[in-house]
Amino acid sequence: MFFSESPKAIEDMNPKQELPINRFKIAGQPEHRIEAAPAPKEVAAMPERIPLLKARLRVDTGDRVKIGTPLYEDKENTDIVFASPAGGQVVDIRYGPRRVIREIVIQTQKTEEHEDFGAHPGAELPRMTRARLVQILLNAGMWPLIRDIVYRSVADPAETPAMIWVAMDNLDPFHPPPDIYLNTPADLRRFKTGLQALEILCGHTYVCKSTKSADLDAEIENRVTHRIRGAYPAEDPGVVHFHNKTTASENRGWFIRGQDVVLLGEFLETGRYPTRRTVAVSGADIESRYVSTRIGAPLHTLISGVIEPDKYRWVTGGLFRGYSGSIKSYLGLYETALFLITESGRRELFGFMRPGTNKPTCSRTFLSIFNPKPLPVDADMHGAKRACVNCGNCTRVCPVDILPQFTYKCIRAGEIEEALSHGLLDCVECGLCAYVCPSKIELCHTFQQTRHAYFRERI
Amino acid sequence: MGRIETTLRKIFDIPRKHFEPGGRLEKLGPLFEAIEDVVFFPAEATRHRPLVRDSLDLKRFMSMVLVALIPPLLFGIYNTGYHTRLASGMSTDLISTTGTGLMIVLPVIIVSYAVGLFWELVFAAVRKHSISEGFLVTGLLFPLTLPPTIPLWQVAVGITFGVVIGKEVFGGTGRNIFNPALTARAFIFFAYPAQMSGDAVWVAIRQNTAGAADAVTGATPLALTTLQAPFNHIQEMLASKGYTLASLAIGNYPGTIGGTSAICAAIGALILIAAGIASYRIILGCIAGLLATGFLLNLLATPQTMPWFSVNPLYHLAAGGFAFGAAYMATDPVTAPGTDRAKWIYGFLIGALTVLIRVVNPAFPEGVMLAILFMNMFAPLLEYTEIRLRIKKRIPHV
Repeated sequence: MFFSESPKAIEDMNPKQELPINRFKIAGQPEHRIEAAPAPKEVAAMPERIPLLKARLRVDTGDRVKIGTPLYEDKENTDIVFASPAGGQVVDIRYGPRRVIREIVIQTQKTEEHEDFGAHPGAELPRMTRARLVQILLNAGMWPLIRDIVYRSVADPAETPAMIWVAMDNLDPFHPPPDIYLNTPADLRRFKTGLQALEILCGHTYVCKSTKSADLDAEIENRVTHRIRGAYPAEDPGVVHFHNKTTASENRGWFIRGQDVVLLGEFLETGRYPTRRTVAVSGADIESRYVSTRIGAPLHTLISGVIEPDKYRWVTGGLFRGYSGSIKSYLGLYETALFLITESGRRELFGFMRPGTNKPTCSRTFLSIFNPKPLPVDADMHGAKRACVNCGNCTRVCPVDILPQFTYKCIRAGEIEEALSHGLLDCVECGLCAYVCPSKIELCHTFQQTRHAYFRERI
Repeated sequence: MGRIETTLRKIFDIPRKHFEPGGRLEKLGPLFEAIEDVVFFPAEATRHRPLVRDSLDLKRFMSMVLVALIPPLLFGIYNTGYHTRLASGMSTDLISTTGTGLMIVLPVIIVSYAVGLFWELVFAAVRKHSISEGFLVTGLLFPLTLPPTIPLWQVAVGITFGVVIGKEVFGGTGRNIFNPALTARAFIFFAYPAQMSGDAVWVAIRQNTAGAADAVTGATPLALTTLQAPFNHIQEMLASKGYTLASLAIGNYPGTIGGTSAICAAIGALILIAAGIASYRIILGCIAGLLATGFLLNLLATPQTMPWFSVNPLYHLAAGGFAFGAAYMATDPVTAPGTDRAKWIYGFLIGALTVLIRVVNPAFPEGVMLAILFMNMFAPLLEYTEIRLRIKKRIPHV
């Protein structure tokens, strides 16, 4: 038995049974095969995509770096460093508004050099102390793979979490399922080594797997503690944590994605900073499939065939949680999905009166509810901004039982304490409230901004 | 289709410059935008996460209410025409009846929309926001609750009060406490009782047949409460006036333009619930509150009490504007509570108050209007209480 206590299998994670997001299928589900992407000539690290991070550079343009060399660090806790995903020369550092470091571009060498952090194979782990392991992970820039449940930022190494959640699935359309990223015996072994390391960090390490994803090797299946039924975001570690915590002392938790556990295992076994990524590539006009590439790869290397690049939004990290980019963007540290969607920009004649057999919606106001086919999505607001009419759609979809329409009004009225008592810190930023809002109010964005402001003031 | 689209595109593109900031008709910008948005659906791109959004917007949301209003509207047009022609001694075939109905109902609706839109535009221009679609519903709901004989100037005054005092002084759509359509009706009801109540207002008489006018006094079933009926015989008395449970449910009696037919309102309610626009909790709550209170009053009925104490509660369900109010007015999301349990209580109390007002205070036969306005006032309190209870259940973070 891997865990000290008996695993609790959760049959129905979501008390609301089925979120209405299940009402339609999204077109662009990748085919079940992995293709290798061509080796990129340049790779980038994107400090801007690390939530709540104030980054300080450790390198300058022109510097030579190895894979694993620290590129930047957290200003507020300089122990947390972020490793270079490539070996070569830093050719460009690009800034965004207010001097936020957007991209650190590294030109890769033919044969890339690695920093050597020393191997700690699985057999050695039982003798490892927690403090030592934390130190090893921090040094190698592996620590940022472990994240905080409440703020979804990099976990605080000084803190002891109530539990660590391993999220094997990410149902935000579309991410590689476990049977895609765990398809070789070596990866399975690394995954187990990674779990072993997490056990050292926190005795309560739980592994969550969606009932939607295919069965794996029996040994892994035995280690799954929570089976989660339901569509996005039921599988989100924040949602699972919310429905499992019983006291305020359990509020703080950490989470790590399944693919990152494999990286953790690989790092411990080889002593080198791992860079492999399996990415889901989807879109209406492209070949949707899984691609094996590396952290920080330029997005254009993931696409095969010829497309008009400017026609699309290059969304990385899932449709709901993702970031918008262009063909010039790169994969961020946490991103394992690329979805190409269009901005229609076309004002449809009598758009709101149409029967809408092809319009994706969680409501029951279009005929598309009778359409079983996957429906195409785009980057349109599908309406103009209006005042909140208290329809309650956001409350119906919220996976952590917040009343978004009231919480939003609290924030707008400056009543932050009230918003916090509504459960603002339980918000997992899934984006469903803003997705369903008929008044097109930026609920999720507002919550995120407020949570971030609260985090900054708290320190 | 393509050619129509190009032509329409041109119609909007040519005068656009005048309505843009700095143009001569800048103040009418919201109107231009509102009309253009109806013809060409806006296609703004997402800027924040999530980068995809649902196809449902407020325009679609509110147009579903308009769709649900079609049955009472059509029936109301026919019913108004029918009683007018009957009272005026004219033939009552379908086509001419509908024609007469349209002649009476259309002007009321047009005035309601035109005057209401004017005020919406004034406030949109001053406040520099877009015209909200909620008005489409208010502008149609209000006329359907009026008697067909209503003078058009009163329609204009009423909708003005509803839009300005009922909604805009609070900050516009989404911030109003009271349902604007009911506020408008309540204002007319109390300001001009001669045109809103009594026996003579419910049938519009056409004077082309001499002497017909005296033939009809159309007392609505609820107004019959003032008449003396022997104990436990109110149903027989109603039946003697031609009001059986079936005729009350169908609604083919003189009354407000759209509010007489419980069956049409029920069809509308089903459309709204099926589309997920109206809360079934409120509607079922209303019905439960009405039947429960009606039954309770039956138990209390003695020969000394008002005659309506002893009526079968189903009569309350079918009579008057209750069904219309419960389906379209009580379910207005802005003025109803936004939490689930509060919706049940809100609905239940609307039903209960409707019966109490009808039975105990027969001076106000249209109990449902006052009941909904009264509960509108309590909606925030119900909401607040439920939010407190929900917060107590949460595991706090601080």
